[in-house]
Amino acid sequence: MTKKIFGIVALLATLCAATAIDAQSMFRGDAMHSGTYAGPPPRQFHRVKWKFPTGDRVISSPVFKDNVIYFGGDDGNVYAVDAATGRQIWKRATNGPVPATPAIADGTVYIGSYDGKFYAFNAQTGALKWKFATDGERRFEAKGLHGMQPKNQTIADPFDAFLSSPVVANGVVYFGSGDGNLYALDSATGDLHWKFKTGDVVHASPALADGVLFFGSWDSYFYAVDAATGKEKWRFHGGEDPLIHNQVGFQSSPAVVNGTVYTGCRDSNLYALDAVTGKEKWRFFNDLSWVITSPAVADGKVFFGTSDSSLYHVVDANSGKPIVRQQGKAYIFSSPAVAGDVVFIGVMNGTLEARDGKTGDLLWDFQVEKSKQNGSWVLTGDRKFNVPLLYHSNWREAPLVANDQQIRVGGIYSSPLVVNGVVYFGSADGFLYAVE
Amino acid sequence: MTSAGARVRLIVILIVAAALPCRADDAITGRWEGSAHIPDDELNVIVDLTQENGTWAGSIIIPGLGLKGTPLTEIKVQPPDVNFAVKGALGIQLKLRLDANNKLAGNFEQGGNRASASLQRTGPPQVEYPPRNTPVAKELEGEWKGDYEMLGYTRHVSIKFANHPDGATAEFVIVGRKHNVLPVDLVTQEGEMVTVDSHEMGFSFEGRLKNGKLTGAVRQAAIETPLVLVRAK
Repeated sequence: MTKKIFGIVALLATLCAATAIDAQSMFRGDAMHSGTYAGPPPRQFHRVKWKFPTGDRVISSPVFKDNVIYFGGDDGNVYAVDAATGRQIWKRATNGPVPATPAIADGTVYIGSYDGKFYAFNAQTGALKWKFATDGERRFEAKGLHGMQPKNQTIADPFDAFLSSPVVANGVVYFGSGDGNLYALDSATGDLHWKFKTGDVVHASPALADGVLFFGSWDSYFYAVDAATGKEKWRFHGGEDPLIHNQVGFQSSPAVVNGTVYTGCRDSNLYALDAVTGKEKWRFFNDLSWVITSPAVADGKVFFGTSDSSLYHVVDANSGKPIVRQQGKAYIFSSPAVAGDVVFIGVMNGTLEARDGKTGDLLWDFQVEKSKQNGSWVLTGDRKFNVPLLYHSNWREAPLVANDQQIRVGGIYSSPLVVNGVVYFGSADGFLYAVE
Repeated sequence: MTSAGARVRLIVILIVAAALPCRADDAITGRWEGSAHIPDDELNVIVDLTQENGTWAGSIIIPGLGLKGTPLTEIKVQPPDVNFAVKGALGIQLKLRLDANNKLAGNFEQGGNRASASLQRTGPPQVEYPPRNTPVAKELEGEWKGDYEMLGYTRHVSIKFANHPDGATAEFVIVGRKHNVLPVDLVTQEGEMVTVDSHEMGFSFEGRLKNGKLTGAVRQAAIETPLVLVRAK
């Protein structure tokens, strides 16, 4: 009898472990995008296990399946890398940068590219299974964007850094596109099931819970759409900014936990919405600082960072009341990963931070080499952005120049992945890192 | 000295002499990581070099220049000198020398500019090779034809597939105002997906073989135009 119980416990433990591992094969860990990963997390930094070079920035976040790390590169390639050694298993070229995160399901890697195509590759060999042409990719754009001049000229937003990452369920793959659509494709053939039109770019990644897809668009609306039919269930209106289009749009990807949808917005709020009705439960205002990060939700708390104010926040998931507020050093676009009692988050100054899950105190950080080199003094001596130097321009295109400079210090846009005590993340210096 | 002793000594000298270039070559084989110090920037440079059947092969990675596993050309290894060029339009050349600290140091040249470069051996080589032609399905062998329109006039396309022991080949012809025979670098078929690439001309066809048709698109630089090919009669 004891043996039987032991056997059942062992089987359950194996199943749980398998579920935890499967939960690392798409953006933010699972279809609900909770951003939580099975422990143990490294509370101390020991070493760089390996670093894998690519030809350009790595904005994409890595995912894990069967001891292989998959991610996209802005050099146009999709990569499969041995998680233990950092050796390349395969790479496949697309015709544009790939700042999206892949999803792995049924032996297939799903990912979109700036070439306007959505790809399905064999996970083992990299062989192309099918590809689907959207109506074309583009960045969010507006006249007089962020106050740039000439104000009558349409300018593409350099901070629109990510592409939508897919979610896969029940033989259907869902993703957003710069053409304003959310697509639902047959995961085996790439045939279109349906598409849902919004008013602007959809680069947020849809979360899926209870048969409903949740995602935001740059048209200032957040949507809930029936995954089976593509019919709208509700929409929520975020902020508008008709003057300079700075405080508008959902770039953040949502997390759905216990019937509540959590999403950041460029209107500088973090919103908590009722998943069934779309009614606002609470909002957390960030004084005109964007919330680009996708929130992580664990133990009744929501973890997120802000852009210009460079703050790391933990708030109560039920009430939105602040629990932790820590001043960071630079903009945060990367989304936090919660593993046990440690939160990992990338910072645009080229640093990965490990923070205590309860206090938010910095446990350790890792600075990439490009950040240490600090070419053109992009950073101040204490690793903050050197704003007076960066944004100096007689032409009002300073954000474009500044963004380009920020990339040079190996900014970490990529959201960390934690597997078996190793943290994987990409950097704008062109490397994918594995640290432990 | 006896003649037998002299013979042994000569043999030893010959063996050592023969081994010297091998050891020198071994010192060059590997993954080399470092940087080129161009003004206001440090370019990360990762070079993989290996020898196969007496011929040097290699590839290079330069994050920020979009180079990942790009083949090396004109590789000349005459220890301690190591010189090579990088395939493609960037026109990069590296002229390096193995120094006393086992570093490859020298110059990184591009566009008439020159910067110092220094690389350190970090492990065994991970040379990337360009993709190779695959065989194509029997039903794909032979000639396929179709038309597409661009800038107001029609182009007639013909692709003729043939299988060989080392993979398939294709004759790729486009007839518009001129008769263009495109040099083909790569022919692949993976399941239903068929690719014919003329890297030199920046031109490719990619299509899906289904229901007796090759449905896809021709691509030239960033311009993509739909094209359906059917078997030539």
